[in-house]
Order: sequence, then C-alpha cells, then structure tokens
Amino acid sequence: MPIILVVDDSPTIRRMVRTALAGLSDATFLEAGSGLEAIETLAVKSVQALVLDLNMPDMHGLDVLGFLRSHDQYRELPVLILTTRGDEVSRTAALKAGASAYMTKPFSPSALVSAVRDLLQPSTPLRAAQP
Amino acid sequence: MKPPENQPAFGAGFMDDYFAEAEEHIVTVRRSLLTLEGALGSELPAAVLEELFRSCHSLKGISAMVELREAELLAHHMESGLRAIRNHQVALTPVNFEALVVAGRTLEHVVAAHRAGSPLPDIEEPIRQLRALATPDGPGDSSSSIAGQAAQAAPAGAPLPRWKVTFVPSAELVARGVKVDTVRARLLEIGQVLRVIPKVTAGGGIAFEFELETRDESKLAAWREDGVAYEPMPVIAPDVPSVLTPGAPSEAFAAGTANFVRVDLSRLDDLMRLVGDMVVARARLADTLERVEEHVPFREWRALQEHNAGLERHLRDLREGVMRVRLVPVGEIFRRMPFVVRDLARDYGKRVRLDLAGGSTEIDKFLIERMMDPVIHLVRNAISHGIEPPAQRAAAGKPAEGVIRLGASTSGESIVVEISDDGAGIDVPAVVARGRAAGLAVPEGPDDTRALLDLLCASGFSTREEADRGSGRGVGMAVVRSTVRELGGLLALETAPGRGTTFRVTLPLTLAITDAIIAQVGDQVFAVPQSAVREVIEVDAAALRKIERNELLTYRGGTLPIVRLSQLFAIESEERPRFHAVVVGAGLAAVGLMVDRIAGQREIVVKTITDPLLRVDGISGATELGDGRLVLILDAPALSRMQAGRQSRSEGVRA
Amino acid sequence: MNYILFGVAGTTYAMRSDHVLHMEMVEHVTAVPNAPAFVEGVVFSRGQVVPVINLRARFGFERAPIDLRTRLLIVQTQGRRVGLMADEAREFVGIPDDAVRPPGDAIVGLSGNYLEGVATLGDRIVLILDIREVVDALPTAAA
Repeated sequence: MPIILVVDDSPTIRRMVRTALAGLSDATFLEAGSGLEAIETLAVKSVQALVLDLNMPDMHGLDVLGFLRSHDQYRELPVLILTTRGDEVSRTAALKAGASAYMTKPFSPSALVSAVRDLLQPSTPLRAAQP
Repeated sequence: MKPPENQPAFGAGFMDDYFAEAEEHIVTVRRSLLTLEGALGSELPAAVLEELFRSCHSLKGISAMVELREAELLAHHMESGLRAIRNHQVALTPVNFEALVVAGRTLEHVVAAHRAGSPLPDIEEPIRQLRALATPDGPGDSSSSIAGQAAQAAPAGAPLPRWKVTFVPSAELVARGVKVDTVRARLLEIGQVLRVIPKVTAGGGIAFEFELETRDESKLAAWREDGVAYEPMPVIAPDVPSVLTPGAPSEAFAAGTANFVRVDLSRLDDLMRLVGDMVVARARLADTLERVEEHVPFREWRALQEHNAGLERHLRDLREGVMRVRLVPVGEIFRRMPFVVRDLARDYGKRVRLDLAGGSTEIDKFLIERMMDPVIHLVRNAISHGIEPPAQRAAAGKPAEGVIRLGASTSGESIVVEISDDGAGIDVPAVVARGRAAGLAVPEGPDDTRALLDLLCASGFSTREEADRGSGRGVGMAVVRSTVRELGGLLALETAPGRGTTFRVTLPLTLAITDAIIAQVGDQVFAVPQSAVREVIEVDAAALRKIERNELLTYRGGTLPIVRLSQLFAIESEERPRFHAVVVGAGLAAVGLMVDRIAGQREIVVKTITDPLLRVDGISGATELGDGRLVLILDAPALSRMQAGRQSRSEGVRA
Repeated sequence: MNYILFGVAGTTYAMRSDHVLHMEMVEHVTAVPNAPAFVEGVVFSRGQVVPVINLRARFGFERAPIDLRTRLLIVQTQGRRVGLMADEAREFVGIPDDAVRPPGDAIVGLSGNYLEGVATLGDRIVLILDIREVVDALPTAAA
C-alpha cells in the first residue's frame, strides 16, 4: 500500500493530482502545502513517493529536494517534480538536483499516473484501475 | 503553449476548487495593489511585492491546469512584469502601476465571466501594456527602491537578542495539533523569524531550526513540552550551512503566516449539522426522561435531570462555539469595496468617497458569501443613481465629492448592514410613474417606504440601464431582496430628496439552531422562532372585534390584528371560546397568530426550505422535533406582511 | 441503460436509476399548506428536507391512502432533491436503448406530458418519465 505525499501550495492542484492518481488503486495519499510541511510529514510518516511542486512560498522545491538527497534516509525516495511550465528550472537542472522524474503543469492525468507508477515500480507492484 | 494531451475534461471537474482558490489569490492581488499604490514614488515594501508576485504565479498555474487560457496569459504577463520590477530592471511608475491594475481587474473579470458563462473581456490590451512594462527602459533603474529586500535589518534601537529555536516534529505532536507551521506562527507572535532550516539530527530524525529575534524568552521556555528547544545565538551568526542547491532560488523564508487555519466551509457545515444532531438527540433524551419519571426512584431521576440539564448547557456552549468559528468579520465584504467604488466612480464620472464603519463586526461565513453580490449591487446603485455628478452637487451646495457609507453593527440577535449615500435620494415621483406604467402597485403616500421598496424590488421594474451595467451577474433589486429574505433577514429603505438614501439589511446572527415556540393548529404542528415572538397571550373570542375582513383585539393600548392560521393555511380547526395568540412583529406590524394549543418551547434545528415547490408565504423552513416528525417553521415577518397585505385597500398588492 | 420501475395507479413507469438516490417506505409526510395540490408535503430524508410529489395527483389520478407498499423515490436533478411517491416500487432493470421509442400521440392522459419515452419489456409496456418535467415547479396543467 504505497503512500504518496503530494506537495503543492495550491489546494486545487493537490486535489487534481490526487484525483488523477486515483487510478493507482492501491495508493493512499498525504498532502502538504509547503516545503516545511512536506519535510515534517516525512519525519513522522513513512512515505513511498513524493510529487513535489517547485515554486512554493516558504521553501523552494529544489531546496526540499536538496535536503532529501543529502541524507541517507531519503536519498532513494522517489520524487517526481511537477512544476509550472515556463518556470526557470529546466528538466536537466531538476534531474541533476536529484529528481527521479519531471513533469510540467498542465499535466495529463494518464501521463501522471504512468510516471508515478514507474516511480513505484521497483519496490511495489501496483494494479492500476482501468483508465 | 501546447495544450496537454487528450482528456480535456479533466480540469473541468475542479472548477469549484479553482474558483475558490482563484478568488483568494485575486483578493490578495487587489489588496497588494492597493497597498502598493500608496507606496508609489517611495520605497516599495518587498513583502507586498512578493505576495503579489506569488499570487500571480499561483493564478497562472491553476488557470493553466483548468485550461482557462486567458486567465493564464494575464497572470503570466503580470508575473513577468512583477519579476522585472522586483529585479530592479523596471521602475514602478504610475503608468506601469496602472497597467498592473488594469490587468488585475481584467483577470478578475475573466474569471468571473468564466464562472457566469458570459463573454470574456478583451485581454489583448492589458497584455500589451504589461509587455511594455516588462521591457526594461535602461540599465537597472534605481528610481524605485524596494524596502527590506536585504536581509532584515535590525530595527532602530538596540538589537534584539537572537535565538536558535529547534523544533523536533513527532507523530504525537502532530496528533496534538503541534506542527512546524504552528510553531512558526507562535514564534512570529513573539518576534521576527529570520530563517527556518530543516536539519537531520544525529539520530537520523528531522528537526527544524528557526532563527528568531525576540525579547520574550519566557514563552520559549513554556513550549518545551511541544518539542521546542532553544539556545541563544551570538549576535553575529557564523555562516550556518543550510541545504541549498547552488543556483536554485532560495528566498528569505517568508515570515508572513498569520495564526489562522484555513477550513473548508463544508466542514463547518458538517460540524454544525453534527451539533444539530446532538441537540435533537438530547431532546429525545429529555422526552424519554419524562416518560420514565414514574418508574425511576426519585433520587436517580433527579440526577438524570441534572445530567440532562448539564448536557443542555454544554451543547449550547458548543453550539455557540461552532457558530463563533464560522464568524468572519464583515470587513471581508468591505475590503473589496474601495476598488469597486473607484472603478464605478470613474465609469459614471462621479467623485465618490467611501467611508467604512464596523468592519470588525462578525457575521456567519455563509451569510458573507451570499451577501457579497447584493451589497455590491447596492453600492453600484448608490453610485450610478444616488450620487449626483460633481457639477450638480456643487450647484446644490454640496461638496463635489459624494460620500457612500458602509456600516455594520450588531443589534441583539441580528446584524445590521447599512449602505447609505448623501446623493439625491430616490426620485419617488419618477419611480411611481414607472411603476404605474408597468402596472405595479404604488405607494400610498410619501412616507410609505415599505411600498416604495416593494416597487423597486418588483420584478419587471428594473431599468435597461441597470441590466447592462450588471457585469453579467443578473443581480437586480429583486434578487437583493430575495437573497435577504432567504437568509431570514429584512430589507428596509430610507430616503430623503436631495439628502440621500439608506438601505438597511438586518440579518439574524444565529443560523441553524434557535429556540422556538411549538404550537398546534388543528392536527398540524408549527414552530415559531422565539426571536420573532413578542409574547404569547390568552384571548377571549368574545373580545374580538370584527371590522371588515379583519379581527382585532384591544392590546396594550392599541389594536392587534389576529391572524387565524387555520384560515390562512386551510387547516380544519374547531372554534374555541378561548385560545392562544402568539404575538409576532413589533409596533404597527404586530399581529397575533391564533393557534389551538401551545405545546411548549424547545430548541430546534432549523432546516431552510429552498425547493421551489415549497415556496409558500409564511413558511420558512422545517425542523425535526425529536420524535422523527417534521414540523414546519413559520416565517413571522412574512405572516405579518401577509396580514398587512390583506388589510390593505389597494387591489393586487402582493405580500 | 438502467431503470427503476414503479407503479402508479396500475401503470408501470420507469426512471433512470442514476437519478434515483434511494427509496424509502413512507411513514409520515408533513403537509405544507398552500403548496401546489400535487405536493403531498415534506419529509426528512438523510438529514435534508425533501418535498414529496404525489405521482397519482401529478398524473391526474385519484389519491389513494398510503399503505405498506407505498414507496418514496428520492431523486436528484438540477441540484434539487425531490421525493416521488408511488404506489409500489417494482424492480431494477436494464432496458436496451433500442427498445425505447418516443412517446408519440398514442399516450393519452396527463402523464403523457411527463414522458420521455415508451419501452416494451416482454409483454409489458413501460412509460419512461422525464424527471425534469415531473419535478418542474411551474404549473404545466392543473393536477
């Protein structure tokens, strides 16, 4: 039962991500509205994957990612960066900073499902509901 | 920008969330622009600029997700313009500021148009202006400085002591409601938070380090049990290695979260409903208690009664507590008014000043949502019809600038919102003439403001001018009145020629749970909200005097019309020599509702009736009395109006 | 397409099952004075006040006393929740789209105004109701 943490300061986007990922029938979700909240959630809950926005008010997504990658516990945590198209950070920069995958908003739900499924593949086989 | 592949309907399911969130960001945009306007030509507050930038960015993101391209584009260009200003590439001149204001307003209209399904305004011109803004006019313009962008300078005076505050989150703390945001909010209350850095502790756990400036060390000590540890920091802090990726934006952590929790209104509705269920359950318990009285030893029964009474008290407190959570300051409606007034005054060529009073008066969040449009409509009317053009005002010896006053206050169990202007007042003869021409009932005399209001609110009365100013929302006086009525309130009007007009909206504070008198008419049971009841009297049928179609009773030095509910509602009922009358309304509007039996008084949970099939004059809702049966709630003001209508001599007056 | 079948004055009617939230037995309906004649009153259903339309009255039949077989179908349409009172609820069936014909002139009587189609199920004729017409508050014809 993988737990996916959805991090974005927009509640609308968080809801859209969750709804899109409802196609992963096994997964359950946690939400965080800021980088600090996301890190706190990781501290108290066991999470299998992260969907992470970049441009957040209190802590930039890349800073969150940097924090995670510099510590053993979270080095291997699958992180999908989901960022607004047109933002300065490129796919290359994100991957170099340690992102496992990168997508831009607006996203297509099926692409998101498939990307997250890939993230989770190595450890947990998932049955996806019919799209 | 390429649209996302297939599934165009995906975003469509999130429009409610989108509109709610967009609304919040739009309000921030307006507020920030208003603040920045005051700072033009001097130092721009960086925090406000940042907030504005963020709101545009967020609007861009969510608009793109729900495929509202026009909103996305506008937000995108606003964001670019703001970025250029923030990076000192462009100055915030009055011209540039105006471009931002126009764009902001257009963005708001675009969202509103999407919501209403009406045609979108042009976005080309605002975008063109923003593009012109974002083009730097020369190498780094320093004419507009931005305050506070450097690391927070120590405030004038002795430097405050600095502390390193460490917070270690845990599942237990989270369960207790103590999270990193809670701690940050607390620290903001006692000082300035310079930085927040996440760290991994020696044991592999996570901790948050705050750099705090404060004199209030005592509070820090008190929070030790909440996972908060602290130690003094040297005033010159050594370079703290923070987790920054080189080249990635790392902004000074915003110190702006206020100590509020954002709650879905539907959750508060759920809470309220649960409290209502508890009220009903307790009523059932009370009923059962009465039935078992004779089977239980007196001492035990007494104890049960006391427990029941205690439960009732606690529930009342809980009910009030939940209601208080739902209360927001009326200022929420007020805060968008300066913009509305500014725009409308410009559109209509009037000069208007807006005075606000009582913004801290609190009102149920639900009421705020519903009252927003009506209040805006009344303000719009005041500007378009009430306030005269400057020349006309001058000729009349008034200051060229008109005044519109928005005030809110509480009065007993109600909240009163007034919208008044010092304009020309309502042109009663013109209104009456228009009413006659439309075949509507007209006021009898100059003081008959109630009939005047009826006329203004009658459907079929609004002018074409009002229709095309109406920003596509279709709010006319008729809707203002029906909204107020639906909320259980009253609309009143005062006007004086040459002096001005005041609209007064009275709304009940308590929405969902109220005390009521339970009365029986024939075989039907009704509830009358206690707040509407003046008193209950016993009447001798012989004391009634019949005059024309009315039955009157001498009462407190005047006459009280008696309304036979059995007649009004076509319920079979016996004639009785003595009966009870529930007196509702005040002064000339008072009436006595004749009932067969008073069954008592109890707390009821009010469920409003909204279905068009059930729109019956005199009935405002229903409630479950605890025995599973549904009982109708009488609309006392409507009943007294109906009586007034029947008494009126003119034909065709609708109550 | 799935439908709920129910009986009113001996005739079998159908309604799309996705409009029907649930069905209840009728215990007590509180009368609402001065409501339209076909409005039986209101009930409390799952925490909400729901108007009840007496389908017999709506379709121009004589009223009948409420008994143990009377059913209340709670339907949802255009943001409104309305209860429809029928003599009995029959069954839940799937009717293939090609078995549904337009109402045509063959249907006489008041209920014809509320139909969106007619279907034949074996030897039964089933009248398919247009829910929006049924709950429409504006007077179509006096019931």
